[in-house]
Amino acid sequence: MARAKKRGMSEVAKKEERLALLMLLPSFFVIVVIAIYPLFTVFRDSLTNKIFASNQPVEFVGLSNYAQLLSVTIKELPPVIDETTGQQAIDDKSGEPVYERAITVLPREPQRFREVSQFSLLGKRYVIGATERDFIRAIVDTLIFTVVSVVLETLLGLIIALVVNSNFRGRGFMRASMLVPWAIITVVSARMWQWMLGPTRTGLVNVVLQIVGIGDGQIAFLRMSEYQLPAIIAVDVWKTTPFMALLLLAGLQLIPNDLYKAAAVDGANKVRQFFAITLPLLRPAIAVALVFRTLDALRVFDVFQVMLSRTRYSMASFAQDQLIQYQNAGISSAASVFIFLLIFVFALLYIRMLGVEAE
Amino acid sequence: MGKKFLVWCLVAVLVVGFAVPVAYAQEGEGEPVTLRLLSGAVGQELELTKAAAARYMAANPNITVEVFDTPDAVQDRLGVYLQYFETKSSEADLYQIDVIWPGDLAEHLIDLYQYEGAQEQAAENFPAIIENNTVGGKLVGMPWFTDAGLLYYRTDLLKKYGYDAPPGTWAELEEMAMKIQDGERAAGNEDFWGYVWQGNAYEGLTCDALEWIDSSGGGTIISPDKVITINNTNAVAAVDRAAAWVGKISPAGVTGFQEEDARNMWQAGNAAFMRNWPYCYSLGNADDSVVKGKFDVAPLPAGAEGGHGAATLGGWQVAVSKYSKNPEEAAKLALFMTSAGEQKTRAIEGSFNPTIMFLYNDAEVCDASPFMCKLYDVFTGAVARPSTATAPKYNEVSTAFFQAVHSVLTGDNDGQTALEELELDLAGITGFETGAPTME
Amino acid sequence: MNKGLQYTIGRVLFWLLIILIFVYLVFPFYWALNSSFKTESELQRTPATFVPDNPTLQNYRAVFHNVNFMRGLLNSVIVATCTTLLALVIGSFGAFALGKLRFRGKTLSLYLILAMTMFPSIAVLSGLYAVITKFHVHPILAMILSYMIFTLPFTVWVLTSFFKDLPMEIMRSAQVDGATPFQTFYRILLPLTLPALVTTGLLAFIAAWNEYLFALTFTTIDPSSRTVPVAIALFTGQVSHQEPFGEIMAAAVIVTIPLVILVFIFQQKIVAGLTAGAVKG
Repeated sequence: MARAKKRGMSEVAKKEERLALLMLLPSFFVIVVIAIYPLFTVFRDSLTNKIFASNQPVEFVGLSNYAQLLSVTIKELPPVIDETTGQQAIDDKSGEPVYERAITVLPREPQRFREVSQFSLLGKRYVIGATERDFIRAIVDTLIFTVVSVVLETLLGLIIALVVNSNFRGRGFMRASMLVPWAIITVVSARMWQWMLGPTRTGLVNVVLQIVGIGDGQIAFLRMSEYQLPAIIAVDVWKTTPFMALLLLAGLQLIPNDLYKAAAVDGANKVRQFFAITLPLLRPAIAVALVFRTLDALRVFDVFQVMLSRTRYSMASFAQDQLIQYQNAGISSAASVFIFLLIFVFALLYIRMLGVEAE
Repeated sequence: MGKKFLVWCLVAVLVVGFAVPVAYAQEGEGEPVTLRLLSGAVGQELELTKAAAARYMAANPNITVEVFDTPDAVQDRLGVYLQYFETKSSEADLYQIDVIWPGDLAEHLIDLYQYEGAQEQAAENFPAIIENNTVGGKLVGMPWFTDAGLLYYRTDLLKKYGYDAPPGTWAELEEMAMKIQDGERAAGNEDFWGYVWQGNAYEGLTCDALEWIDSSGGGTIISPDKVITINNTNAVAAVDRAAAWVGKISPAGVTGFQEEDARNMWQAGNAAFMRNWPYCYSLGNADDSVVKGKFDVAPLPAGAEGGHGAATLGGWQVAVSKYSKNPEEAAKLALFMTSAGEQKTRAIEGSFNPTIMFLYNDAEVCDASPFMCKLYDVFTGAVARPSTATAPKYNEVSTAFFQAVHSVLTGDNDGQTALEELELDLAGITGFETGAPTME
Repeated sequence: MNKGLQYTIGRVLFWLLIILIFVYLVFPFYWALNSSFKTESELQRTPATFVPDNPTLQNYRAVFHNVNFMRGLLNSVIVATCTTLLALVIGSFGAFALGKLRFRGKTLSLYLILAMTMFPSIAVLSGLYAVITKFHVHPILAMILSYMIFTLPFTVWVLTSFFKDLPMEIMRSAQVDGATPFQTFYRILLPLTLPALVTTGLLAFIAAWNEYLFALTFTTIDPSSRTVPVAIALFTGQVSHQEPFGEIMAAAVIVTIPLVILVFIFQQKIVAGLTAGAVKG
């Protein structure tokens, strides 16, 4: 008796499972046919010393590509002693104490470590060195870029979505114009911003700033390391806020109006309504938008390549450069796998934190 | 209702997707041979190439030549080529390759010397280019057209400030640029600068920096006999000197300039001197150009009195892929496209600088483009980047070099340290010995 | 502060915000428009002008005469539309399963689908290209299928979360009425997620529209399949190194305006759809 009942239940469940599998089949079909082979080659190549577009024999090198990408060391920089005074030498021009040059301290065998940056701690000076300096810098730059631009895009996107969601004349027009930055082709808009940020007065930003009274019209934004990341972030935020706004708008539109009416009747003002009703109900939409936006930001490539080309890399533009310019398929693939792992960790964190589980 | 539409769309896509490749597969049987050339698409370049292909097809009725354009951006073009070579694709037979690619791509290209007429034709070209295109005794690319760095100067401004000739040394250039810049700024043009060039961290900087260093007796980064010569006092002085220009006679943003940025400043009348490739000449004389008729070109300055200036060699070659199904026919086409007759046509109609020496004495060529014939000496004396000596690692070498130079230009480093570290880097990349540059 | 004044200030601030947002979003596009009407010499002029001194149509003429560009527009429309439709169909099917049906391996499936987009494009390109050339896949089809890699996961995830939000009662009441799960999905749930479908459709469309790297590699020897980004990259000036900025800007304008109009039309549909079949309380 009990057995028959069990079989009956599992039959319904089985039917549902079969339907689910059937409906998921197209998605998996796409993955297998399109993505499996390329992704497999990325993992495989990262463990070899393969040269792209070359007939040189490929050897298995284990994890040495990863070691090369990620080896970091910290060494102390001893002070330069001034012979006459017996004390640490002071630089005449800057008044700063002088230390040995990093190149004398960083190890050279078996791989050369290059200086990434220096810092002072407890009266001593240290230098951080890495075998693949550009990649370490790229990791830092990409992370900063990701965090700042995603936060800005979410906030701005939310504001824009709220504004566009409310009823006013010209709302449809606003909605359409909302998509303008997203509609301009990425490489074209990167070029356009590069032009606008030009270092002379042919660049819009220089002209405007000069009118306002800042600068002399000759600021080279993209050449000064302090302005490079902010400039790229500004471009990306401009380009991608519509994406967030649109997603959040869709989420907003699913919140029934009655809830707001009821709250208003209860005496809650707009701000209260926002925090008590809108935000919680919007959480799933925000979560999904965040996951994908972060994912895309960690993979950013176009803006870095067009605007900063080979002066400053993101992780993905580094991987691209390694593959095409150096034909170093092993390193490039290892970098791609690293990006994948990083993104995976982020995705896991988000999903846990924001509770976007399917169950 | 909507579902039906979706289904039809899917069906349509699948039909198109499978029918077309089948149609393609019909090709490739029988006598007629199809050759595919991947070339540049800049302006008239594509038309001229297609016209040349048409001429070849007329003379060889069983051959069909298809010309495909590729983006001008090096990253993209090289990327496409590499993808093809990686898959050993026989989809393309001929490739238009940059002067710095023969070394890197040699293993995928055939030796043109094996084919009839190649030796003779090669002998007609500038020796420096042929040498550049010869890897391990194989001629992997037949020169098509060439380029070299030039000094553009404003004739009207030189006259205005009392100079009767373009500068012969870098020191003279600095002095003249400073004086003109001060004068023009005082006269009201606040956007005016003395000297614009390419200072961004890319291959173009390798070209500019090579010119500074070679003209100052500092060698050519790595000599043709595989010795790393970059770390010497002359080279350090040359790079430090250039770094001093930034913000003084060149805008601070020059460390981000590529060819077009420099040309845009120059053509708007905001620069006294410019270092750039010959292409700016005809553009500068366009009807709506501010500097029309007010400029001329000269060889780049030397490091010291009596020395010689250096111009980096540019230009493109035609190469034949090893994976082509018809290498012999492809080689014949390559030899045709780069022959004297074709180069003459391109010179007259498109201002492409020929690589064949006697064309610079040709009356028709010099009539059509007197400016080009003046450049003969510049081309014969052009200095090649060490791409062939360092093959297949030229890109790494060049990147290390231009990043080192760029760090000096932006003030992140001083010349001495940068070049010392560069020497170490190059030794690590190439495994060559270090040494002093040969004086000539 | 009395209610009337508060209201007015509120309205003023609101409209100020709207204008600010509008300017921020649209001004660079205005700059593109502005630049597209300038000749090269005016583009080089300092200081840059906000309104062209000598407006010219030469850039637009050049772009419209460019056969490759016009064909590129057509190809982009085909590729983007097919990609979007495919992604929506496959994605909504999968999302229904993941959002409403019960089965083992849900989390694993979600992560697996997401994993496709966790790689930079360059990593996937070589492998994809090898597959494409081996099976002689037509470039247009190759692009449509490749774009699945980044449009499908996103579509699945967004739609899953929307399906999840739909109350279980709807499904149960439909089943009580005798509908199979699939019929419930097709007839009832799908229309309810219309805003999500339109949204993800729009975003997928534009993602496919914007893609450059894959398109470039797949269409090099097939110029008739090139899409707009590739066509624009092949815009060259009269001589090497020259970048025809004015023309590129004109092309950008020509490409963007129809898209914006398209969106404008679709926005009306979203609003209409909502007021027609709203989710019951």
